[in-house]
Amino acid sequence: MKNKPLPLLKRGLNFEMLMWIFTRLSALGMYVLILTAAVGALVMGARTQMNIADVLRWSFMPNTTHVQSTNIVAIDPWAHAFWKTVASLTLLVATAHGIHGLVVIADDYIIKPLGRNIIRIISILFMLAMISIGLYIIWTS
Amino acid sequence: MQVTLKIFRYDPEKDTNGHYETYSMQAEPTDRVLDMLEFVKGTIDGTLSFRRSCAHGICGSDAMLINGSNRLACKTLAQELGNEITVAPIMGLKVIKDLIVDMEPFFNNYKEVLPYFINESPLPEDGKERLQSQEARAVFDDTTKCILCAACTTSCPSFWASDDYFGPAAFVTAHRFIFDSRDEAASERLQIISETSGLARCHTVFNCTMACPREIQITKAIGELKLATITGKVR
Ligand code: FES
Repeated sequence: MKNKPLPLLKRGLNFEMLMWIFTRLSALGMYVLILTAAVGALVMGARTQMNIADVLRWSFMPNTTHVQSTNIVAIDPWAHAFWKTVASLTLLVATAHGIHGLVVIADDYIIKPLGRNIIRIISILFMLAMISIGLYIIWTS
Repeated sequence: MQVTLKIFRYDPEKDTNGHYETYSMQAEPTDRVLDMLEFVKGTIDGTLSFRRSCAHGICGSDAMLINGSNRLACKTLAQELGNEITVAPIMGLKVIKDLIVDMEPFFNNYKEVLPYFINESPLPEDGKERLQSQEARAVFDDTTKCILCAACTTSCPSFWASDDYFGPAAFVTAHRFIFDSRDEAASERLQIISETSGLARCHTVFNCTMACPREIQITKAIGELKLATITGKVR
């Protein structure tokens, strides 16, 4: 009887712990997304038509505006919905990961629950604004 | 050997800020930092204040910042440190006088994790003891060794940032009871230590493990607690 796991709601798996897990997994997720974009770029011709800085810029945010100033001529494959999806995922994962990191740092300085809640609300609003602007740019450019 | 001992001094009645004072002395390589502090207090300046009790590494009174690391003054020999020795109070807690800090926030965090055995079930048939296998005892053996010296907690950057972070010592005690097969409050404790400023604030810095004079694998214990909150498996 001792070997039963504790029930889900009774093991301390609260929002704070879930975000702790998310922070770790999202870091891995970002590696996957960035490598996908980097490999994709090389396959689509970046090897001869782009310099390494431009490849990296594309990898961290696969948006067509990031290849327009390079020697790439055929822009179509780079504007495919697949890359827009990868870019959107990168945006979502990276913004949530980063904003949560900032909230954790802010908590080191702000101890009172009221202050912490204010920072959380501001951060969430800021995050939503960044994500909306980002998605707008990705899907309309 | 000739030793130059630099000691942090602060007298709340005279000083607005702490400062260091330097004392020179002859010491045996096998003299402990505690012996040197006693020497200063006994022969040079009787106002020097520090905590000590057992002088044998078991009461946990004399954790100090010695040459940049948290150690027990009674377990650190001159020969490990060289001719220049700097002693300061442990960090992250308010200095009361010289090397004495206010341990209240540390013990408040400790108390929060319910640092006592909880078992409301009736005693076994024979009315004597609750038996435990050797394997079940071994699971939390390491964390029973804590002497509450605060060397770990006051070496932790997350604790320096805010003293409402439980800190490694409180987690060690939580681990000791959560993984005890005879204890029944694992769930309650896990929920307490997962609150904001709890487990998730451990960034796996390993300072605590380095600092522990009892060589407890603290970071590993905290890792096991994190895993327990995720899987719900405590034994
Ligand atoms: S005086 Fe007791 S631990 Fe050092």
